Amino acid sequence: METPFSGTGYRPEEAYAAAAQRFFELLQSLSPGAPAAANAGRDWSQFAGPLAAQYEQWLRMSQSAGPWFSAAPGAAFAAGPAAAFGPLPLGPAAVQGAEQQRVWELLARLGQLQAQLAAHWGEIARSAAQRFVARAGPPLASPTLEQTLKLYELWVSCAEEAYAATARGDDFSRLQSELANVSAALLVEQRRHAESLVRAFGLPTRNEVDALYAHIKDLSRRLEELAGGAPSPAASRAPRPQAAKPRRRARGAAKPRRRT
Amino acid sequence: MSEFPAGAAGVIPELALRVSETLARLHQARGVTVGCSAKRAIFRCGKTTLYEYLPLATAAPPPCREPLLVCFALVNRPYVLDLQPDRSLVRRLLEAGLRVYLIDWGDPDDAERRMDLTDYVEGHLGACVQHVRQAHGGAALNLLGVCQGGVLALCYAALHPDDIARLITLTTPVDFHAGENLLARWVRGLDTALLAACGNVPGEVLNALFLALMPLRLTQEKYVRLLTGRPDQRAVEDFVRMERWIFDSPPQAAAALAEFVRMFYQQNALVRGTALIGGRRVDLGQLRQPLLNLYALDDHIVPPEACAALQDLVGSRDYTECAIRTGHIGMYVSRAAREVIPRRIVSWLQERR
Repeated sequence: METPFSGTGYRPEEAYAAAAQRFFELLQSLSPGAPAAANAGRDWSQFAGPLAAQYEQWLRMSQSAGPWFSAAPGAAFAAGPAAAFGPLPLGPAAVQGAEQQRVWELLARLGQLQAQLAAHWGEIARSAAQRFVARAGPPLASPTLEQTLKLYELWVSCAEEAYAATARGDDFSRLQSELANVSAALLVEQRRHAESLVRAFGLPTRNEVDALYAHIKDLSRRLEELAGGAPSPAASRAPRPQAAKPRRRARGAAKPRRRT
Repeated sequence: MSEFPAGAAGVIPELALRVSETLARLHQARGVTVGCSAKRAIFRCGKTTLYEYLPLATAAPPPCREPLLVCFALVNRPYVLDLQPDRSLVRRLLEAGLRVYLIDWGDPDDAERRMDLTDYVEGHLGACVQHVRQAHGGAALNLLGVCQGGVLALCYAALHPDDIARLITLTTPVDFHAGENLLARWVRGLDTALLAACGNVPGEVLNALFLALMPLRLTQEKYVRLLTGRPDQRAVEDFVRMERWIFDSPPQAAAALAEFVRMFYQQNALVRGTALIGGRRVDLGQLRQPLLNLYALDDHIVPPEACAALQDLVGSRDYTECAIRTGHIGMYVSRAAREVIPRRIVSWLQERR
């Protein structure tokens, strides 16, 4: 799912327009003419279902793969396991033998993690709607503009509270790390495959270029040292003689503290 | 973009009109520029550039002899400190008569993906410190570390206490496991070796991570508030400048980012005293110079507890802290921060001249 915040460039005008659209969709779903309002009583409970569904859908679209993956150049993974393999024209099928097996395992794991994340979106959305219903007070027949904006602000607060409650949890946190790890592992596999192709064409590989770069850096440093010139950044990395350490103040000992 | 979604006008026409007007203003504000104070590059080290801000003709007498070197975070661009004339910490410090230098880390390319924290702290930051010192007769300087840049500044100052006369930290995390630190929770299980093997991390990935901390507020409500708030053209331009900065994030050198996550977010090495830079242990107890610690009370990226922890770790007996009721971004541009922070820095330096 492409959003104004994903991919390789933030698109501000799309972000503004998308926010406006979501805002009016929300207002429509809360307005007296909304389908849920037909049977509405004296509170917002009739709106809880549609509100939750709308929020869950938004979370799925905007956060489905976690920040690690949705913003990365190879976000095509998220669209489906068999989709284009990142920025290179290489699909999993092009990878041979054990490597291919490894890629399929990683893609399957990614799918599992996304499914686990999706369960959290549902939980967050339901909790947000419940909080809103509990705090919104009786619906007004014809709210003023300020009342409408306050209602929107309340909805955002409820939604963020529900999100934070889940996002701070161990399971959600573990999922974020795992998603990042699996995404990184896929990228490493992709690079490994690209390296083998590059080698087959007789071109220098990334690792070889890195080794050359490190070698040049080391030679430059040694050359500067031999020339006796000003120390380069690399040279200044060398440890300096350290003055004798003054004794540490005991923890908890009184220390003047100013606070403004 | 001047249209609003079909049907919206029927819901609340006045809101639709407001949104439409603001969208038109946003469209007009697309060409706003950022940065306002005159500066010149005086030193380069890899992709890092050291800038000297040109003193103002109308500046006050200097509050202290030493120049101030600003060490910004690796994950954002430093121009937020000099966004526009009325939102510029740098401008306020220049007006107060300070000599201000700023480190811009630039964009590491793929050849620099193995750059680690030692390269940044001992190499680039160290070279900038020495350059500024030489330009001012070799005396120790005042160092201002901002956010992640504050962590680098703390490491440098602890390893080279004689180089730094006074140290100022702004929204600088020290105890990465204190308070409600969602980032720390999310990256605790991250395989940092794998992260480093992936190559440089695009700025967009980190942006997406920061947005995911409060997704509805940061990608929806923030815009709705602007769109429905009847802002004038100037307010819209201020907003667009800030947006440009927020989404203009440099890529991160793979090794340095992986090391930062492992050492600080996962191992909380500043608190445990296990941080290693260039093979040397970073002992914050070595910080004996005067220290001013500024942080935000409503910071969702760096919780106030994470910053306040510095007091118990440093060896300095001259420790001052200043907590401001605002958020992380608010520390750079909010009205309260714009007034309080430069004033506090200047008066604090004056008191220790």
